[in-house]
Amino acid sequence: MVVEFWGQEFKVNVLLGCVGGFLIAVISSMFGFGGGPFMVPLMTVGLRLPMFVVVGSSLLAIFFNTVMGTMRHYQFGNFDLVFFLVMFPAAILGGYIAPQIARRVSPLVVKRIAAAGLLILAMNLFGLY
Amino acid sequence: MKRYWMSLTIALAATLFMLYQNGSFAQQSQEGKPAAATEAAPAVQGQAETPQQKGVPAGEAKPEAKEAQVPLAFQVDRTALNNGGIVTITGTAPPGTPVYIEVWADQHVRASRFDSEVDKETGKRPYVLYMTYDMPAFYKILTPVEQKENLEKIKKEGSKWSYSQALKDLGADAAYSVPGKIKIERYQATLMGSIVGSRGELLPAMDEKENKRRSMQLVKARFRNPDKVFAPVVESQPDGTFVAKLNIGSGSAPGTYNIRVVAGKTPVGQVAGVENNISFPNLYFSNAGTSINLFGPFFLTLAIAIFGVLMGAGGGFILNPLLVSIWPLPHTVVAGTVMPTVMFSQASGIVNYSKIKFISWKLGVTIGLAMVLGGFIGPKLTEMITLAQYKFVFGWILVILACLMLWQTTQGYLAKHKKEQAILKEFKKRAEEAALAKASRAA
Repeated sequence: MVVEFWGQEFKVNVLLGCVGGFLIAVISSMFGFGGGPFMVPLMTVGLRLPMFVVVGSSLLAIFFNTVMGTMRHYQFGNFDLVFFLVMFPAAILGGYIAPQIARRVSPLVVKRIAAAGLLILAMNLFGLY
Repeated sequence: MKRYWMSLTIALAATLFMLYQNGSFAQQSQEGKPAAATEAAPAVQGQAETPQQKGVPAGEAKPEAKEAQVPLAFQVDRTALNNGGIVTITGTAPPGTPVYIEVWADQHVRASRFDSEVDKETGKRPYVLYMTYDMPAFYKILTPVEQKENLEKIKKEGSKWSYSQALKDLGADAAYSVPGKIKIERYQATLMGSIVGSRGELLPAMDEKENKRRSMQLVKARFRNPDKVFAPVVESQPDGTFVAKLNIGSGSAPGTYNIRVVAGKTPVGQVAGVENNISFPNLYFSNAGTSINLFGPFFLTLAIAIFGVLMGAGGGFILNPLLVSIWPLPHTVVAGTVMPTVMFSQASGIVNYSKIKFISWKLGVTIGLAMVLGGFIGPKLTEMITLAQYKFVFGWILVILACLMLWQTTQGYLAKHKKEQAILKEFKKRAEEAALAKASRAA
């Protein structure tokens, strides 16, 4: 498939994109997260697309998954309204505060801290401590 | 700022729609009602009939036992609690008989268990999903203090413990009555059905005995931990008087808690009720079956949403495992509620990008269609795994994510990323200018 974006043309391996997207969608809807951090590497490394094509389009792709996953979870009675109403304003507020802080911290440091934090959390989930 | 208002409006509209669909309005007004009406006396009388009706097997032995021994009676020291507390139960039983106390909440929650273990008789895997909406939100059997050692033994078995075996080991069979009568639906799942995402075919209702056996497995699936369903706290004196301190933890469901005493095998035809009140800022999450101080999840979500944006990954990755670890929330509810939260921030992002035509719809929709399929199957699988499996797999997902994060801090990636970001900025600028030019032309 050939994708045209702002005057440039890119060849895309649709099969790899769809199979990878499908797998990411299964995992992310099963565990209830967005899936962006997996989708972006798939499209940049796997499909060899430049970042400026990926930022918007990957969001659109995972949005399909999120909408479907939300509907299915709702159908199975996994949605708790009160819980949602507690978390939703916090998520919105977080999205508003974060850009103000982002200017003052180095993304490199944040990512290193995040990696360490994720590993600690993973150890916790494995029950190692 | 505008996009936040927009997403908020969408959220409100969706919420109203869901409320309308759910009939939640009706449910909530019901929840409020019983608070006033639970003076101990009517509650005791109204429910006193039920144990007698259901105590059919024990009922035959009962008259003789009653004649021969001291009449059983018990009192509770309080009728109302505020977000949990300790209730002292005192009473007299025939000297020398072990006393068990069954406690259950009127508030119901959902419980499900997917049976895929090989059947010992036929050697086949049944693939049957057992489900109930009537599991008490709180269920506990208080056993004599002498059973403490046995309980410790059960706890040592780890996650492999069996509830029915535990009932036998602790001598608590006769005390187990309420969950045995809940309505359980079972579905025959098939491989094809699971792929399509259906629960499978509804099987005919089970007989009483089978229902009771399956209900025990559901009790374990719901409460998971032996400590949640047993407490060795009944202290009996040689003269037959007994004292038990029932601890209803903070975060338990609101509503009436029923208490019933069983001496040996004989149930007492009396049920006492204790009202547990939950007040702001504690909220009861009816689907999760637990009440939580609302500021806990609020600030956790806030902190993680901020951190998520900074590290360039959605918050869901860190939020979900923390939610299931910190609070006794079922993983299905966590997954099912975090997803819609993520959805709205994604929607606002898409709106922003589409305004400046920065989305390749062809590419996004093509991969999106494959992802819709995945999103159809995933939630079904959440239901089929246990919390332990959820945590284990999530652990590996986090390890992979951590590797991705570290990879993004390597020199090679950074050099490439810098170039990419410059191109991204350049194109974005162009896109924004084009959108602006178009807007001014239109005006």
